[in-house]
Amino acid sequence: MEVVIKAHDLTKRYPNILAVDHVHFEVYQGEFFGLLGPNGAGKTTTIRMLTGQTKPTLGMAVVASFDITHQLTKAKEHVGVVPEVSNLYDEMSAWDNLIFAAQLYGVPRNERDKRAKELLELFGLYERRRDRVGNFSRGMKRRLTIAAALIHKPDILFLDEPTTGLDVQSSRMIRNLLKELNKSGASIFLTTHYIEEADQLCQRVAIINQGKIVAVDNPEKLKAAIEERHVIEISFSPSEDLEDKLRGLNNVSNVSRVGDKFRLYVEEASEVVTLLIDLARENNLRIISINTLKPSLEDAFVKITGLSPEVMASEKEPVKREKSGSVG
Amino acid sequence: MEALVKAWIQSIIKAVYIAKKDAKIYFFKWPNITFGLLLPAIIYLAFSVGRPTEISLTIPGLVAMAALFGAGAIQSVALPLERATGTFDRLLAAPVSLATIIVGKALGGFFFGMVLSMAYSLIVIRLSGATLTYPFLFAFGVILSSFVFSALGVCISAPFRDIPEAMPPATLLRVSMVFLGGVLIPVATLPNFLQLIAYLLPLTYAVDMLHQAMTGQIITQSFLVDTAALVVFSVFFFAAAVLILERTLH
Repeated sequence: MEVVIKAHDLTKRYPNILAVDHVHFEVYQGEFFGLLGPNGAGKTTTIRMLTGQTKPTLGMAVVASFDITHQLTKAKEHVGVVPEVSNLYDEMSAWDNLIFAAQLYGVPRNERDKRAKELLELFGLYERRRDRVGNFSRGMKRRLTIAAALIHKPDILFLDEPTTGLDVQSSRMIRNLLKELNKSGASIFLTTHYIEEADQLCQRVAIINQGKIVAVDNPEKLKAAIEERHVIEISFSPSEDLEDKLRGLNNVSNVSRVGDKFRLYVEEASEVVTLLIDLARENNLRIISINTLKPSLEDAFVKITGLSPEVMASEKEPVKREKSGSVG
Repeated sequence: MEALVKAWIQSIIKAVYIAKKDAKIYFFKWPNITFGLLLPAIIYLAFSVGRPTEISLTIPGLVAMAALFGAGAIQSVALPLERATGTFDRLLAAPVSLATIIVGKALGGFFFGMVLSMAYSLIVIRLSGATLTYPFLFAFGVILSSFVFSALGVCISAPFRDIPEAMPPATLLRVSMVFLGGVLIPVATLPNFLQLIAYLLPLTYAVDMLHQAMTGQIITQSFLVDTAALVVFSVFFFAAAVLILERTLH
């Protein structure tokens, strides 16, 4: 398979922080590739280096067969970029934003209108084409940002946390659009801190933590690698103040709370189930439900990074742009 | 060679698109036009009311100030604003070089500054009843002045990522230039050390050039020195803007 993105020893050092630490990975033609990691792991910095928005301190990268150090402009002709925060011109209409993007990417004059119309229709924004983008909702802006990134029919689409901060309906719409784009042949490089999103969309996932890639594989293989670990999901009534007691049980390596349930990561499920029944009896608790689960990508992530899933669930703080040491 | 020429033409076309976009969303707005027209007059009146003034010195000074504030003032806000809102990243991610972006940004300011100072020239010449001896040379001076001040605007805003950071140094520099550059007080009447500083400022050459074109007292050598100085300043400001931006971005 043809490699469309190759990062070799890619490193970014800011004065006070090593944002991306000697990372290596490859993305293949037509692949949906995810870079998964918590906030501040180095995802945004990686995407900014690959798309020419910041220079690597060390290492090299090839995008669409062009070395980004020496042939950056050529590489950028083949790439569409959707940043984490929509960066459209609020003062301009949706139509004018797309036409300006088409001009920058060298779309021939006689094709610009046709392409802008197609994309606005595809993204459900054609009726609002004359409106100022400043009046758009966050979801509409995100859709228009993706449309602008597609104006020149790029071979590779980079998306930095495309569904962060969006409502469920907008997120689902964007995920479906991305799946369709990938089916039509575009290679997609997506960063996300939503584990479920990476699991649903990506054919391969690289897990990044503190600037280092700690695993690269497809989600199913990552899950299979930790199958010797078991997960028990249990719900008690009442369920307050139980986390410490659950952590204290033998063979329990980690506990997380998911809604009204506790998720226990254990070495030997049957032994722990017995302990849980004893615990319920001793504390006059009623067990509402108990299940053993197959490992999810989240479990694989927890095992690989040693981080709790709550770290990933937290929304990103608004980022001050371009400040040295601001990494995402 | 052919590919290189094609790439250059493409870069120029893209710079013009950036300039058109900037002109539309930042420059040609009524508050900016009003600011560009009124500010030079207000500064001039604040200084000259009650003092004897010479019309041949007044008009070149006012027009040069219009170019300085028109081409440069909005410019020094537009770039930090784009960096703060993230729209500058859109340009960085596009297949254009940093130099093309800077040329585009400067062209937007240049065009606005030129239109504004041309309009200013027509208004003040008509109102004062003054005679313009060499209108083409005067127009040439206006064009060159707008160019250099727009490049200066981009250059002084290049290190900053937000408007509050960018405004104080830009304003300080422009106001100092107005006092030292021969707009209000002839450079020759300044103390020697201030004259030395004055000759390091592009406004001094712009005012002198416009003054010569207006009065018809052309000293070829001096006019050529003014032209050369403004061209050198423009190239220097462009190069410095690219270098500064390159450093602060990466």
